[in-house]
Amino acid sequence: MKEEIKQFEAAALKEIESAGHAKETLEALRIKYLGRKGIVTELFKRMALLPPAEKPEMGVLVNALKNTITALLDGKMVSAVLSEEEKDRIDVTLPGIGTRQGRIHPVARTINQICDVFISMGFKIVDGPEIETEHYNFEALNIPLEHPSRDAFDTFYLKSAEKYLLRSHTSPVQARFMEKNKPPFSIIVPGKVYRPDATDASHSFMFHQIEGLAVSDAIKFSDLKGVLETFAKQMFGKSTKMRFRPSFFPFTEPSAEVDISCRLCSPDEQRTTKCSLCGGKGWLEILGAGMVNPKVFKNVGYDPEKVTGFAFGMGVERIAILKYGITDIRLFFENDVRFLEQF
Amino acid sequence: MRISYNWLKDYIDPNLAPAKLAETLTMAGLTTESVQPSGDDHLLEIEVTANRPDWLSYIGVARELAAITGNKLTLPPSAGINTAGKKSGIKIDIEEKSLCQRYTARVIKDVDVKESPGRLKRKLEAMDLRPVNNVVDITNFCLFETGEPMHAFDLDKIDGGQIIIRRARKGEKIVTIDGVERELNDTILVIADRSRPIAIAGVMGGLNTEVTGATKNVLLEAASFDPISARRTARALGISTESSYRFERKVDLDNIASASDRATSLICELASGQACEFIDIGKKSAGGKTITLRLPKLDAVLGLEIPPAKVKKISESLGLRIKKSTKESLTMDTPQFRYDLNAEIDIIEEIARIYGYNRIPSTIPAVVEQDEKVPFEMMIENRIRSLLAGSGADEIITYSLLSKNLLKMASLEDTHVSEIKNPLSSEQEIMRPSLMPGMLASILWNINRKSRDLELFELGKIYTKTSERSFNETRCLSIGIAGEISGWAQGARPCGFFDLKGAIETVLSELGIDNAAFKQTRIDGYSHSCAAVIDIKGSEIGRAGEISKQVLHNFDIKERIYFCEISLDALLKHAKLEKVFKELPKHPSVYRDMSLVVPKEVLNADIVVLARETAGAILHDIRLIDRFTGKQIPDGKVSLTYRLEYRIPSRTLEEKEVSAVHANILQALEKRYGARLR
Repeated sequence: MKEEIKQFEAAALKEIESAGHAKETLEALRIKYLGRKGIVTELFKRMALLPPAEKPEMGVLVNALKNTITALLDGKMVSAVLSEEEKDRIDVTLPGIGTRQGRIHPVARTINQICDVFISMGFKIVDGPEIETEHYNFEALNIPLEHPSRDAFDTFYLKSAEKYLLRSHTSPVQARFMEKNKPPFSIIVPGKVYRPDATDASHSFMFHQIEGLAVSDAIKFSDLKGVLETFAKQMFGKSTKMRFRPSFFPFTEPSAEVDISCRLCSPDEQRTTKCSLCGGKGWLEILGAGMVNPKVFKNVGYDPEKVTGFAFGMGVERIAILKYGITDIRLFFENDVRFLEQF
Repeated sequence: MRISYNWLKDYIDPNLAPAKLAETLTMAGLTTESVQPSGDDHLLEIEVTANRPDWLSYIGVARELAAITGNKLTLPPSAGINTAGKKSGIKIDIEEKSLCQRYTARVIKDVDVKESPGRLKRKLEAMDLRPVNNVVDITNFCLFETGEPMHAFDLDKIDGGQIIIRRARKGEKIVTIDGVERELNDTILVIADRSRPIAIAGVMGGLNTEVTGATKNVLLEAASFDPISARRTARALGISTESSYRFERKVDLDNIASASDRATSLICELASGQACEFIDIGKKSAGGKTITLRLPKLDAVLGLEIPPAKVKKISESLGLRIKKSTKESLTMDTPQFRYDLNAEIDIIEEIARIYGYNRIPSTIPAVVEQDEKVPFEMMIENRIRSLLAGSGADEIITYSLLSKNLLKMASLEDTHVSEIKNPLSSEQEIMRPSLMPGMLASILWNINRKSRDLELFELGKIYTKTSERSFNETRCLSIGIAGEISGWAQGARPCGFFDLKGAIETVLSELGIDNAAFKQTRIDGYSHSCAAVIDIKGSEIGRAGEISKQVLHNFDIKERIYFCEISLDALLKHAKLEKVFKELPKHPSVYRDMSLVVPKEVLNADIVVLARETAGAILHDIRLIDRFTGKQIPDGKVSLTYRLEYRIPSRTLEEKEVSAVHANILQALEKRYGARLR
């Protein structure tokens, strides 16, 4: 029987090895050797008839035969499945299926980013009307109606019985808010503003501003500097430098124009060619700011001896232009999807 | 204002290279926009803020530079003018004293009007001014040097030896020296002789009394005209001159006589004239003001302590004269040319400015706790923004101002539209009463650039005129869809109303609104086959549908466009943002499908309502899962398959009861709507 087992083994190995990888063939071979009437099963049956002394040795041999064949067939079966899966292989470089991501407008995105920075510093967002009166747009802010200081605020007027206009800055909300609230507070006001400017690459008759106002019994010019420096670093990066230049706005005093260091070159750098972004100055103007003029406080019924405050205002498109390197303000309102999809 | 570096050196040695000078001035508030080399000179373009008319001259800038740098200021020699007691023979009469604070006149006889010497011409050319003749050039030179605009008249052409400062009469006309005839009215102040206006006060002289090569005797005017009047006049006539620019900002009243003297001595020198007596009418000095600066207030506003000695030194450098000095305060007189210094805060700004803003430290104020960080409306807008962008739509921002024509193209009514009184172009005639025109214009822009498959949305206000005295601003959402929905797996199909409705439903669901109904109707601008109002509890919150062929034709758009406009202000009244947990069902639902063939006129909403009415609470949900028309379905009919979910909270439903209810629903649908089981 020993000899017989050896022969079976040799024959079985040969047959299985040369059988290829078709699942059906392998299944037939399994039945032939390991099935209920299979060759190995028959060997077990014959082994039962052997004298007890021979059984253990034969048992080991038959079991070994069974294991060898099983392992061989299993191995072949696995590669059969693999080769079958291989035939169904998909192209994983095909694009994913799902909704394409739409984009938030860069102006809205920038407003949100700016607001987030100020909210993290304790500010809250306040809103106000776009259709305004001369009182809130000018007089309450210490801008006399017939004065050259109004030249910077050319204004659209509406046809109506009373004088209504489209706000030329977000500052009217300062006065509106202060009339209804008591300090201390710190607010920011994002929104659309309108100025009758001829449209070109850097002018638009409609744009967005963000106004800031903080009032308490102890706000100082140094606080204005600290808050705006924090803003600039969060918006434009940690290495951003800032400078304050004296300027004039009717509603703040002292007033400042605020510049950040150029994003393409450095203010200290020795330049040979003119920088395309800053024109070689090394600085980029980003906003106007100052301490609230005591006259503005008086106009809203605050006692300027008891409160101080700072205010600032910036153009959102200007910030986005500097942040993203956009070359033409009109792109914001053309709404070309090839532009929108970049943000 | 332009500053020639070389000219400035007549009054002060800056001791700074031009670029460095520019930076020094900028950091003191005299923003220098540019520095350009020009021959052996450099030209600085400085931007003078509206509060500092005293900077609108070389002496003014030199004076400021002296304050900043401590360098010495050298003023031109004050001229000793020898009039030899000569009378001018001219009579001055100020009729409008409120519009002319001071008027001076000097007659200079026997002038030799000719070309100016080269050094004078070069100075004017540096200012981009064309030299005319020595007399005119001297008045212009003195304007830039002293800041006082002056005008020279040909004395012999002044009728009646009389100067009258009066309002123009209605219908009066004058040809100004630029050769333009200008019609005047009684809001305009003029300089007139006995018979006619000879100059528009503070703005431009008249051709009739112009100084020419033939002029023998001149009258030199130096005056102070009212800023508002000068501004109104310049605006009304649409001209702005170096002269009007300065009068609008207020000239230095105290400077008038010395400026006139300076010009007189130059005319005597360069045109060999003979000066007559000086006529000077009106207020001679504006006088300074006395202001007390509290040092603790200075420190409190700026957030740093500046040593009192430093404060004094800065004050004095600016020409402030300290009258009284205590430990806590400084009382000082302002120089009369500083009209902008009126209160303590003005002095604080001056100290900070000269001390240097960049030396003030940076601090962070104590945080003030706020109730609501973001207004509700803005928070909702941001949610919608993220949601729609996340589902594939691009956000657009269009102009709030439109042309009337665009409104007409979109078939929108022009009643209650807010009109702009002073548009720069027809694109700014009205405020948009709808987001539709802007959306269609944006879609057209993209289609014209071959971007065809579009899903756009806008969050913005619309504006309506509610009466002659009131306007409304309403927050709105618009969505516009055009082109195809495509993907390589399922192929492409044209987008349709239900893609739009899906987007709207996503927004409604985000806001917890489950009771909005779409009601088929007719709306101008929308196709009659596809237009609906969106209604919540009987009030309209928005409109949705397919843009009508006519409107598309007006815009020259070939594609179909689906558009909706929803009032967020109306929608927000119905928003339910608070989430309340509901216990999960303990017993499983039973699902049954129902395939019906119904007449096309029967609405899905009607079937759903009737099914719910018939079944009662046991019907948890009913959803359309298939709809088709075609070969197997008779004309005028449509096949609809619904999946109905039955469940009750208390127990597991039995097959029998579900079947009974299901059959009842079918029966009701058969009876009411002629539905048949397919």
